Amino acid sequence: MTSLESASLVYADKDGDVFACHDVSLEVRPGEFLGILGPSGSGKSSLLYLLSGLKVPTQGRALYRGRGLDELSDAERSRLRLQTFGFVFQHPFLVGYLSALENIMVARPDQDCRDESMALLEAVGLGEKSHRLPHELSGGERQRVCVARALLGGPEIVFCDEPTAALDHATGIKVMDLLRSHRGTGSLVVVTHDPTMLEGVDRAVHMAEGRVL
Amino acid sequence: MPTYGPLRAGTYLWRNKGKSLPLVGVIVLAVMLVSGIVAMMDSIPLSIRTIYSYSRHYVGLTPRGDPEMTGKIRQTIEQEAPVPLDRVMAVRGLDLNVMSIVGKWPFVILALKPEDMSYYMDHVGPGELEGRMPKDGEPEVVLSEPVMRNLGVKIGDVVLGPDKPEAYSPYKVKIVGKVHSQEWTAVIPYDYVAANHFPPVDALLAFAKTPVEQAKLDHWAEKRFTGERARVFAFHKLEKDTSEMFRILYKILDVVVGMLVVVITIMMGMLISIFLSQRVQEFGLLQALGYTKKAILQRVMGEMTAVVVGGWVAGVLCAYLLLNVVRATLMDPKAFMLDPFDRTAYFYTLPVPVAIYTVALATVVARFRRFDPVAVVERRLV
Ligand SMILES: Nc1ncnc2c1ncn2[C@@H]1O[C@H](COP(=O)(O)OP(=O)(O)OP(=O)(O)O)[C@@H](O)[C@H]1O
Ligand SMILES: [Mg+2]
Repeated sequence: MTSLESASLVYADKDGDVFACHDVSLEVRPGEFLGILGPSGSGKSSLLYLLSGLKVPTQGRALYRGRGLDELSDAERSRLRLQTFGFVFQHPFLVGYLSALENIMVARPDQDCRDESMALLEAVGLGEKSHRLPHELSGGERQRVCVARALLGGPEIVFCDEPTAALDHATGIKVMDLLRSHRGTGSLVVVTHDPTMLEGVDRAVHMAEGRVL
Repeated sequence: MPTYGPLRAGTYLWRNKGKSLPLVGVIVLAVMLVSGIVAMMDSIPLSIRTIYSYSRHYVGLTPRGDPEMTGKIRQTIEQEAPVPLDRVMAVRGLDLNVMSIVGKWPFVILALKPEDMSYYMDHVGPGELEGRMPKDGEPEVVLSEPVMRNLGVKIGDVVLGPDKPEAYSPYKVKIVGKVHSQEWTAVIPYDYVAANHFPPVDALLAFAKTPVEQAKLDHWAEKRFTGERARVFAFHKLEKDTSEMFRILYKILDVVVGMLVVVITIMMGMLISIFLSQRVQEFGLLQALGYTKKAILQRVMGEMTAVVVGGWVAGVLCAYLLLNVVRATLMDPKAFMLDPFDRTAYFYTLPVPVAIYTVALATVVARFRRFDPVAVVERRLV
């Protein structure tokens, strides 16, 4: 589906180059649940950005269905993210003036998805709070809205960057259950440093210093 | 891409009224300011045209340096006029100052012979007469309604008199009649003026039968009497002189309005820049989710269009209301002219929305050119 071939993501720093990802080769297979583990700063987020086309590798290639993401135009990569991928970012970013429900609907601007959004909001336990604005939600609640947003429209791959970091264990488990249920629709890539969240994982890779071990 | 639901252009503006209304407000004020200034300026030539509009109905001829010329001029015009003449009358004039927003302006009370009086009243600014016509040889005037409003006088008041240095006449000249007409007219008996005022020189008013023929007569008279000891007064000449007089003033106005627009635009540019910086996170997030720069740009421009067009329309409406209020309270009581639907005034406001729109577009495009959504979702931007 989507894969990296010897991909590196290099940031120029005044002390020299920083390899956020270093010569990584990895494939996300259809329908699989892929776990990514590793210490802080090991390049987990960067790996997700490369796989999802948010960043283009400085060396090596990122491919989607065999086609290089670097061959796509900016607009085509955007469309891919909007229609094919779902993303839960490490920080629960929401649009400040939109309600919880509307923030989910934002993920599919080209269709009317109010009912589906509402169902997802109920699935993450926020059915009662659909009208609330982000600043009226707790950090964990915001994170759950982000999860619901990533699942809207049944994307082919859902990338999650520590989706449970802001949640208590029980809620974390529930959210992971919801994410896992997505496997019937597409693949699931989850970054976490809590191995207990990776129950039922098909495959787990470990990262350190930008490399997949 | 068509946008359903939450991200329509109106949503942001509506839910952030505290931010979008001040933007609209600034545009409204700018439009009111510019159109107000221009409309007030325009009121001066408009006043000139209105006050002297009575002279449209005839061509006036005065001798120069030789009082005997009047007869010769009359002969020439009666024999050579290119169109049939309706009437040629010998008149005199008395100066009377009227008020304008830029101070006193000269106006003429025409001194008419009894046989010309009713012809003149019927042809120039006809209207219902309140009171009566002046008696032959008596110090009595009839004024039209706007003149009386301008001077703040009523029937029975004295307009000229021995104790008025700027409106002198050896006897007290009273108003005996008021003509309800929009034309500015003032008439007094010829005999009174001939007996009491200098200079003992007649002027001629030549009336054609129709406005078209009048225009022909005017132009002919101007050509015919060039180089002669005669002076020609024609309305179109007055119009031309007025436009020329105001051409330089309008150039200055262009510069002033231009500078105003630049200042307002810079101010608005800064406001819009702040307005948009507050939304960098939103734009970064949307881009990370897969919205194209183009889609976001379109949305921002949609919002800006709403603000700018809304502000301009509201500004024009407010300006129109304000000008109407100004006219009703300040101008009308003195019969000063002001056109609340002055197209030039509203035309001058067009650079405001155009400039603001351009600045907004430039600001957003500049911001987007090197924009990395990852920097937003990784919280490296605050
Ligand atoms: N813009 C940047 N400029 C320089 N270095 C960067 C930049 N972005 C990331 N890095 C570096 O790249 C490395 C990998 O970063 P990344 O965010 O992928 O780590 P991570 O595994 O997600 O860490 P965490 O668990 O703390 O989120 C880090 O060492 C980081 O300092
Ligand atoms: Mg990270």
